[in-house]
Amino acid sequence: MWPQLVNPFAWWQWLVLAAVPPAIIALYFLKLKRRPIEVPSTYLWHKSIEDLHVNTVWQRLRRNLLLFLQLLVLFFVIWSVLKPGWQSEKLPGHRFIFLVDNSASMQATDVAPSRLAEAKRQAIELVDGMQSGDVGMVVSFNEAARVEQSFTDNRRQLRRAVEAIQPSVRSSSLAEALKVASGLANPPRISDPENQQDFQVAEPQPATLVILSDGKFGEVSGLGLGNLDPVYRPIGSSEARNVGIVTMSVGRHETKPDQLQLFARLHNFSHQPASVTLELLLDENPIGYDRFEIAAESSRSAAFDLKAIDSGRLHLRAQTGDDLARDDEAWAVVHRPRQARVLLVTPGNPYLRIAMDTGMAAEIARVTEVAPAFLDTEQYRQQATIGGYDLVVYDRCQPKEMPRANTLFIGRLPPGGSWQAGSEVSRPQVIDTDPAHPLTQWVNLTSVVIADGTPLKPPPGGRVLIDSHLGPLLAIAPREGFEDAVLGFVLLDTRKGPDGALQGYLGTDWPRSRNGGFPNFMLNVLQYLGGGQAAMAEGSYRPAEQVPLENPVSGKPLAVRTPGGNAVELAGTPSGRFSFTDTTELGIYEATVEGKAVGQFAVSLLDAAESDIATRPGIQIDRVPVQGDAAPEVNRLDIWRGLLLAGLAVLLLEWYIYGRRVSM
Amino acid sequence: MSTTTPLLSPELLAKLEKMELVSRKIFRGRMKGERRSRRKGQSVEFADFRSYVPGDDLRFIDWNTYARLERLFLKMFLEEEDLHFYAVIDASPSMDFGEPTKLHYAKQLAAALGFVALIRGDRVKIQALGRSAGLAAPVLRGRRSLWRMLDHLQGLPTGEITSLTDGLKHFCLQNSGKGIVVVISDLMHKDGFEAALRYLLAQDFDIYVVQVLSAEEFDPELEGDLRLIDCEDGDVADVSVTGPLLARYRQTLAALVGSAREFCNRRGITYLLARNQVPVEQLVTGYLRQRGLVR
Repeated sequence: MWPQLVNPFAWWQWLVLAAVPPAIIALYFLKLKRRPIEVPSTYLWHKSIEDLHVNTVWQRLRRNLLLFLQLLVLFFVIWSVLKPGWQSEKLPGHRFIFLVDNSASMQATDVAPSRLAEAKRQAIELVDGMQSGDVGMVVSFNEAARVEQSFTDNRRQLRRAVEAIQPSVRSSSLAEALKVASGLANPPRISDPENQQDFQVAEPQPATLVILSDGKFGEVSGLGLGNLDPVYRPIGSSEARNVGIVTMSVGRHETKPDQLQLFARLHNFSHQPASVTLELLLDENPIGYDRFEIAAESSRSAAFDLKAIDSGRLHLRAQTGDDLARDDEAWAVVHRPRQARVLLVTPGNPYLRIAMDTGMAAEIARVTEVAPAFLDTEQYRQQATIGGYDLVVYDRCQPKEMPRANTLFIGRLPPGGSWQAGSEVSRPQVIDTDPAHPLTQWVNLTSVVIADGTPLKPPPGGRVLIDSHLGPLLAIAPREGFEDAVLGFVLLDTRKGPDGALQGYLGTDWPRSRNGGFPNFMLNVLQYLGGGQAAMAEGSYRPAEQVPLENPVSGKPLAVRTPGGNAVELAGTPSGRFSFTDTTELGIYEATVEGKAVGQFAVSLLDAAESDIATRPGIQIDRVPVQGDAAPEVNRLDIWRGLLLAGLAVLLLEWYIYGRRVSM
Repeated sequence: MSTTTPLLSPELLAKLEKMELVSRKIFRGRMKGERRSRRKGQSVEFADFRSYVPGDDLRFIDWNTYARLERLFLKMFLEEEDLHFYAVIDASPSMDFGEPTKLHYAKQLAAALGFVALIRGDRVKIQALGRSAGLAAPVLRGRRSLWRMLDHLQGLPTGEITSLTDGLKHFCLQNSGKGIVVVISDLMHKDGFEAALRYLLAQDFDIYVVQVLSAEEFDPELEGDLRLIDCEDGDVADVSVTGPLLARYRQTLAALVGSAREFCNRRGITYLLARNQVPVEQLVTGYLRQRGLVR
C-alpha cells in the first residue's frame, strides 16, 4: 500500500524544492564562509590536520555526518509538505459485520490473485479504516456460515480472522450468513401469556452489514434485515470468462449394454465463444480427447465410450483458459460390477420370475426364489440378520421381523405397524407416477387396469411414487439405512371363487401391458433397491454432500483418504454403514478398512450456479435491492505529522551531534 | 584585565621571604653573597678537615689538632658567594593569549623567582627574548631593588617577533657569566626549541625551562569551519573542527610536550609544564620546590 500524496506545488515550485538538496551539498563543498580566528600558533594545527585534512569528495561526504542529517531533515520536511496519507475506506456506523464469501466461484481469478484474496484485502482495508471504539465481526459463508471472529474492537484480531479465511468448493447461500448476522442485530422477542406486552430479550444492536461477495446466491427472503444496514461490495467482474463442466455421468451404452459411456455437458457462461480441449483420463492415463468450440452462453455435450472398463478412476479435464479452474475438472469412479443378492419370497409368480430372468437382470442380480415357508427357517434368520441379502422381495407374504436389507413388499405391509393401509378399494385409477425417482423411471401406469388395491400410508419420511385417485399405491420409506418399498396391489393371487374353490386371480394387467413398463420397474427394483446401480458406475458427489459408505466388515472403523492426502477415521457402527460428510475437497476419495481398499467415490463441483461467475452488480435481500457500493467514502489517514516529528527528531540529533562535536 | 593584577601579592611575598635559590652547580660569583656555596672557602662556617699538602695556606692549619695528633690538618670553611639568576621571558605575540595571558603569568613567575634571588643577595637579571632586550635589562641586587625589578617587568618590551633560537643566542652572547637561567616560553616556535636550548647548554648554565600554556591551548574551544590565523606570522590553517581533529590536536600537543620533556631530561635541564590556570604561588612553592630550584 503506497501512501497517497497531495500535490500542493506548481511545476516551478517543484523545481525550486528540488534545487534545495543540491544547494546544501554544494554549500558543504564550497565552504564559502570560514570564520577567521586568531590563534597563538598554527604550529600544532598544521601538524594535526596533515593526516585528517583530506580533500577528496568521497572522504568529505563520509565524514560529514551533519550533511547527511541535514539532508534527512530536508527529506522529512519535503515529505510532510506533500501531505502523504494512507487511503482507507470509511463505512457508516460503528458496528460492522463483515460477510466474506468463500464459495467456489470466489476462486475465480478475474481479479488478481483471486476474488477471495481481493475480498479479504478489501475487508482488511475496511478493518484498518475503523475508528477507535468501532467494533467488528467476521463471518465467512458458503452453504454454511461460520463466525471467524465475534464482535471485537481489536483490529489485529479482526485482521487475523480475515486472513484465516480459506477458500471452499461449496456453493453459496447468503441466507445462512444473514441468520447469523441478524441474530446479533435483531434479538428475538419473547411473549408472556400473562402480559399483553412483548419483551425484548436484548437491546437491538444496529450494525452495518458488509457483504463481500460476487453475488452468486439466490434471493434471500423471509429474513428481515431489521437493524442491519447492508452494504454490498461486489468482488470480480461481470465480464468474467468461464466454461465449466456442469454435468457428468457414467452410464451403460445405449446400444451396447456391456459397455460404459461417459456423458458430460459443458456450459460457456461468458459473452464470447470459447474453445475447449477435453481430456479423459482413466487412472491418470489419457483415454479420450475432444476439442470443440462452444458458442457464447450456450452448452455443449460430449460423450466418451469407455469400452469394456471394469473399474477405475475417471478424470475429465477441460482446458479452457478461463477465470475459474475448479469447474474445469470432474471425477467419477467405475466399480467392478458386483451382482446383487436378491431373495424372492413368493408362493409362485411367473411374472416376477420372467421379469427377473431377463439377460440384463441376470447380469446385475443373482435372484434366489423361495417359498414363504423359507421365512421360518434358521438359514433365513441368519442371513437376514447379518445382511446376507441386498434385497428381499416379499410377494404376498411378510416376515416376522424386518431383515437387514432393502425390501419390496407386494400386496402386504411390512411388520411393525409403521406402515398403514386403508381398506381395499376397487379399480383405483393411477393418476400420477413419479418419473424423477429411480424406481419409477420408464414406468407408465396410466393405461393399466388394477382390480383391487389398498391405499398406502407410508411412515414419516416416506415418498409416494404411484398415486391413484383412491390413494397411493406405491410408496418408499427409509428404515435405519435401508429402504422399504410397498406395492399396494397384487400382481397375481389365488382367491376363492363363487364355488368356494381356489382359483387364479389376476390383480392387474400391468405385467402384460405393452406400455406399462413392468420389466423396467423390476429392473429398477434390482438396480436401485438391489444396489445394482451402484455396482456399475458411481456418479460424482457434490461438495458437502453426504456420501453413504458401507463397510463389509461391520464393527471395524473405516478410514477415508481425501484427495489432498488427509485421513479421516470413522468409528465402526453395528450396521457397517457410514455417512461421510467431510467432502470439502474435489477429487477421488478412498475408503479403507485396516489398510484394505473397500471403496472409492468422487466429488466434483458440477454446479452451474457456481460456474456462472459473472459478478452481479446488485443483490436483493428480502425484496429490498442492495446496489453494489462502488464508490465508498474515502477516509484519509494523514501521516505528515509523524514525518514532521521524525524530521524534528533528526534535527535534534543533528544539533546534539553539532553541540557535542561527535563525529563518525 | 589580568595585567592590572599585581605581579606579586603580599601573601606570596611573605612566603617567598623564607626561600632561596638552589643551584646544582658550583658557581663563582663576582661578589660574596649571602649564599653558602658548595665551594669550600673563607667564611665563618666550618665545613670539614683535610690533610695538609705543601703549599696550602698556613693560616688555615688547625694547630689544636696538630698538638693532639702531631699531624697537620687543614680547617675548611664554607665559602659564601652570590649567584647569577637570569630569567628569560618569551614576550612574543603568541604569549599574549589566555586568561590570564601567558605573558602575565610568565612575568609573575619571573618576579617571584627574582624576589627570592634579591632577598638572598643574588644577582638578578630579567629580560625578554630579543636582540635589544638584553641590553635594556638592568642587573639588580638586594631587597631594595624589588620595585625596580617590578617596574622593569611591567614595562618589559613585548611584541618583538623573535625566534627562540635567535633570542637565546643573543642572550648567550650578552651574558657570559654562569648561573641559573629560567626560560619561560610556550615553546610554540616553528623552528623548534632544541637548537635554542643547546646554546644555553654550551654556556654551562643551570637551566630551567618553564613551558607556559593556556587552558585554550590544552582544550581548544573551537567549533565549525574555521580559518585559523597565526598571530605571529599570519600563517593560515583551514580546519573543520571535528571530534577526530580535536583528538589529533591533543595528541600533537602531548607529543610536543613529551618531546620537550625528554629533550630536557636527557641534557640535565629541568623542565616544567605550567598551565596558566595554576596560581604562580602554587607553582613556586610546590612544583619548583619539588624540582629543586628553590628551597
